[in-house]
Amino acid sequence: MGNALAIHIHDLHKTYIVSEREGGVRAALASLVHRKKQEVRAVDGISFDLAPGEIVGFLGPNGAGKTTTLKMLSGLLHPTSGELSVLGFVPWKRDHDYLRQITLVMGQRNQLVWDIPAVDSFELNRAVYRVPAADFRKALDELTQLLDLGPLLKKPVRNLSLGERMKCEVAAALLHRPQVVFLDEPTIGLDVTMQRRIRAFIAEYNRRHGATVLLTSHYMADVVALTRRVIVIHHGKLLFDGDLSALVERFTAHKTIVVTLGDCTADLSAYGEVVSCTDGDVTLRVPKAETARVTGRLLADYPVLDLTVEDPPIEEVIDRVFQQEIP
Amino acid sequence: MRGIADIYAQQFKVTLASFIQYRAALVIWLIGHVLEPLIYLVVWSTVSRSTGGSVGGFTAADFAAYFIVLMIVNHLTYTWIMYEYEYRVRQGTLSPELLRPVHPIHSDIADNITSKLITLPGMLAIAALMSLIFRPAFHPVPWAAAAFVPVVLLAFIVRFLVEWTLALAAFWTTRVSALNQMYFMAMLFFSGQIAPLELLPHPVRVIAFVLPFRWTVGFPTELLLGRLTPGQVLAGMGMQFAWLAVGLVLMRFVWRAGLKVYSAVGA
Amino acid sequence: MRYLRLFLVFFRVGVLGELSYRSNFVMHLIESIMELGTALAGLAVVFSYTSTLGGWRPAEILALVGVYFLVSGAIRMVIQPSMERLIEGVHEGTLDFTLTKPEDAQLLVSIQRVEIWNITDVVLGSGVLAVALVRLGANVGVSEAAGFAAALAAGGIIVYSFWLMLATLAFWFVRVENMLMIFSSMYEAGRWPVGFYPRWLRFMLTFLIPVAFATTVPAQALAGRLSVSTLAGAYALAAVLAVLSRAFWRVGVRRYSSASS
Repeated sequence: MGNALAIHIHDLHKTYIVSEREGGVRAALASLVHRKKQEVRAVDGISFDLAPGEIVGFLGPNGAGKTTTLKMLSGLLHPTSGELSVLGFVPWKRDHDYLRQITLVMGQRNQLVWDIPAVDSFELNRAVYRVPAADFRKALDELTQLLDLGPLLKKPVRNLSLGERMKCEVAAALLHRPQVVFLDEPTIGLDVTMQRRIRAFIAEYNRRHGATVLLTSHYMADVVALTRRVIVIHHGKLLFDGDLSALVERFTAHKTIVVTLGDCTADLSAYGEVVSCTDGDVTLRVPKAETARVTGRLLADYPVLDLTVEDPPIEEVIDRVFQQEIP
Repeated sequence: MRGIADIYAQQFKVTLASFIQYRAALVIWLIGHVLEPLIYLVVWSTVSRSTGGSVGGFTAADFAAYFIVLMIVNHLTYTWIMYEYEYRVRQGTLSPELLRPVHPIHSDIADNITSKLITLPGMLAIAALMSLIFRPAFHPVPWAAAAFVPVVLLAFIVRFLVEWTLALAAFWTTRVSALNQMYFMAMLFFSGQIAPLELLPHPVRVIAFVLPFRWTVGFPTELLLGRLTPGQVLAGMGMQFAWLAVGLVLMRFVWRAGLKVYSAVGA
Repeated sequence: MRYLRLFLVFFRVGVLGELSYRSNFVMHLIESIMELGTALAGLAVVFSYTSTLGGWRPAEILALVGVYFLVSGAIRMVIQPSMERLIEGVHEGTLDFTLTKPEDAQLLVSIQRVEIWNITDVVLGSGVLAVALVRLGANVGVSEAAGFAAALAAGGIIVYSFWLMLATLAFWFVRVENMLMIFSSMYEAGRWPVGFYPRWLRFMLTFLIPVAFATTVPAQALAGRLSVSTLAGAYALAAVLAVLSRAFWRVGVRRYSSASS
């Protein structure tokens, strides 16, 4: 059934030409005669491949090019140059057979019809995607169970809370059992509990149906919970593509040691950078190579109640990745 | 007094700014104002041609004159406040206005007058153009032209009061568009916009005499065209004053009642 | 066939959506009756002075009023709401959802919203039309009825294509909703035979804002005064506009796909 690869991207570029204009009357008049054009490289030569069934997190700050890449993959945007194929199709040709096998979920943007119960919007999708009645029933039952949709289905969408609406949006997007699922910031704006629910659902769905999932986010928690493989993008360029743990490994020169001493009177600055001390828990940052040595000395010099060695928080790692901009 | 003058000056600037922003919407809206009298002008001219040149004392040229003047008078007196009030009440934008020491009606009057000052030149140009095309027959009567000024002013005030009071229905119901529609249908018919009132059957004319609609649009038009005797004009002005009084009383009463409802719900 | 099925699904959803707003139905009904009442009253006054108007008999003008309301209702039921939603979708980005569906996007955006309560205009218009037909009596035969259906179909295509082209402007301009109003404003003139109006207005109402083909031409068919050349012209225009509007739509979508982010 198609290629060995679900998604194949090679040297993909997307460049926009934007007309620039400064403020003020002078500039406005000048722009009537001559428009200054500026080239914006939203996606600047990225390449990666996804095998069927992979869940991949596509991480990057706002404006990094994540959404642009996703739109090119779902056929919404024409690339400026490069190779791009999903399930063996060229996305921007918008072949109906292709569109039937993918789905797009966008955080904070609804495809559900506002005034009617969600289940009626589902019916619309069923008709558009030509889902046979039996398959539709099965999919709906499964999604209702996994997402706990029971009481929500009959309520008009406008009466649902933000989180409930998102659950219904996700369900609507999956009724036709797409092989490739594109999620663009699906948890944005949701409360923590709901974020976890959605993440758990995506993981379960991927496990059950082997759908390839490409998820963009600027929340680390999304990526940590769901994916092992992370692709980091910034200024349109790929900064990293690989295991999350490898990311941490490569980009951290430090480790964090948390020592429980009982109080905060001791001055540990000789051992490493003291980040904080709360209730007797001292947090130290030490160069990776020094970890064993510092640990040993701390244990020898102080009545340590507890000691843990941790990687720095992932957010910090990612921030450093973005700032460094070198793989 | 100072406060009121400020409001008017302020509103002038605000209205001007929004005009520049919503040019396209404005043009399209004005099309309706021109098209409707034009349609009836054409229809009645066609009728007069089918009946040998005139209908009830109106020739095609008379009809042209009537409807062109009607268009201008309608433009001078019309309001759109009933559409806005529903929005204001629903969105709660009314509340800040209530905190001002000046009655909210003033900013609405200011907005209305400003809009008309801006659009009147255009309308007059269109009227001139229509005169070239349809060749209306004007029989100017000097004293009538002089009387026109106070009459049309009165007409504007009466119409504004009535329609502003109607707009307050928004305090009680969200179903204002049905109500507005009923008002407009009555207005169309009894103000002489569908046909000069002279041409309507007698019972209708009687009703039209009593209702305010004729005195806001039809009456000034008939006056300017010189179709009224001095006696009729005086009677008409009397009706205008009567409706002015009624309008003021009604407006005050409904406003107070409406405020009670509004603040009960939560301003 | 498939398109019809899809339309029915959207129609059903539209109906369901509005059913919870039952009071809207009463509102619409009152408004429609008011509007119709005024139209009929105007008609009554006019025909109290003459027995024919510009060659049209009262029953024929009545038929025109019926067609006017019927077509107005149809436009306000499907075409107008869907085009308004299209403009929103372009500006809010929800058009993306439509473009990732495995169905022709133009079809989807054209039937996406149904405001069912405007069916009151359709029903009232049909009622008036029926009364007019009775009055016209034996003068309406098979060929008139066929001509009417054909003219109405052509008029429908023309009106739809026009609205689509206006809405497609949303890919380039921001405040296009106001432009949609231009049709509604000019449509008023459709209550009387377009032939009454001076030539310049007739031209505008025929070729610029296609009111004539929506109202006068079908009514002419019922009155037995529709020439074959006019009907042929209507179909020619319908074909041209259908092709043009689709081409324009595709240009708009291409622009949306390449220039937006």
